[in-house]
Amino acid sequence: MNHPKLFANLSRYSTWLKLFWMFLKVNLLSPSGPASIGLLYDEAAGKLMSEERFVEAVGFSNVLPGSEALKLAMFVGHAAAGVPGVLAALLGAILPPTMMMLIVAAILQRFQQADWLEHFVSGMSPAVAALMALVGWELFRAGTGKKIKPRILLIAALSALGFWLEIPSPLVLVGAGILGVLFFR
Amino acid sequence: MPDLLLLFWTFLKVNLLSTSGPASVGLLHGETVGRFITESQFVQAVGFSAVLPGSDAIQLAMYIGYAAAGIPGGLAAMLGSILPPTALIFGVVNILHRLRREAWVGRFVEGLTPAISVLMLFTAWKIFEKGGQTGLFGWAIALVSLALMARDFPARIVVLVAGILGVVLLQ
Repeated sequence: MNHPKLFANLSRYSTWLKLFWMFLKVNLLSPSGPASIGLLYDEAAGKLMSEERFVEAVGFSNVLPGSEALKLAMFVGHAAAGVPGVLAALLGAILPPTMMMLIVAAILQRFQQADWLEHFVSGMSPAVAALMALVGWELFRAGTGKKIKPRILLIAALSALGFWLEIPSPLVLVGAGILGVLFFR
Repeated sequence: MPDLLLLFWTFLKVNLLSTSGPASVGLLHGETVGRFITESQFVQAVGFSAVLPGSDAIQLAMYIGYAAAGIPGGLAAMLGSILPPTALIFGVVNILHRLRREAWVGRFVEGLTPAISVLMLFTAWKIFEKGGQTGLFGWAIALVSLALMARDFPARIVVLVAGILGVVLLQ
């Protein structure tokens, strides 16, 4: 009979299910990508992948473009179960936030003309602006380390000039990236 | 149909040029406000993506896509934001042993980061200005939120309470 093969298949499916469930849980419990790293560390490091590989995954997701939470999910999924692991982790990470946002978006679209929503947004705007300024500042600090290098300040100043002159932002960002490639040899 | 393609392309572009959901907000503002959504809807998108649990990047995509073109719009935007990291992960995982942090991708992002920070500050100011509450009320909320969040007070509570204060106080 084919029992060993059946057994191998079962344990493979259970790894996929475990990955899916883990990312469903982590993404339901954490408010944003960066905040999920701590939770994920408890769930994955030492169990699904070595601590060293986890740190490497965090490093890479900081450096590569795209959503941080998704990149981490895919790294962990890959380490645990290869390509199907990536898909299971991705699905778990995507489902909860998008479903909730879909519901919120659908409800809010019905009230776009309502007075209370207008007041709600007016109150929220300064807080959202503060949040963005803070995230921008933290990003800057994380990117520079303890000592701020002059060339980082130069890139920051040049991009400020670019935005102020209303050069399209994608162009300014690509330009800053290219300067980075040239400067940080 | 061109709307869906444009949504997909916009989110593809934004996610290629930012390293996390919150960092993409500055770029997203310029690419979507006035084209797909209003200033007020943008604030709702950012506010609620901070309030709800889970990845901000795909929540922003979902809200903006849905507001612009219903469920197909949400899906198109989401696909655009998922594709770049997925493609990269598969690429990177396959050449992981060769790619080091000194690789040009890393340097590109190192140059990108200060520019994104500056863009975030510019956009924060725009949102503050167009929120309409630039008087005492607006400044008070902005400064108190900033102080609370700088002390690691959860952003979702700050944003939610600020909205409720708006409903209660701005009659």
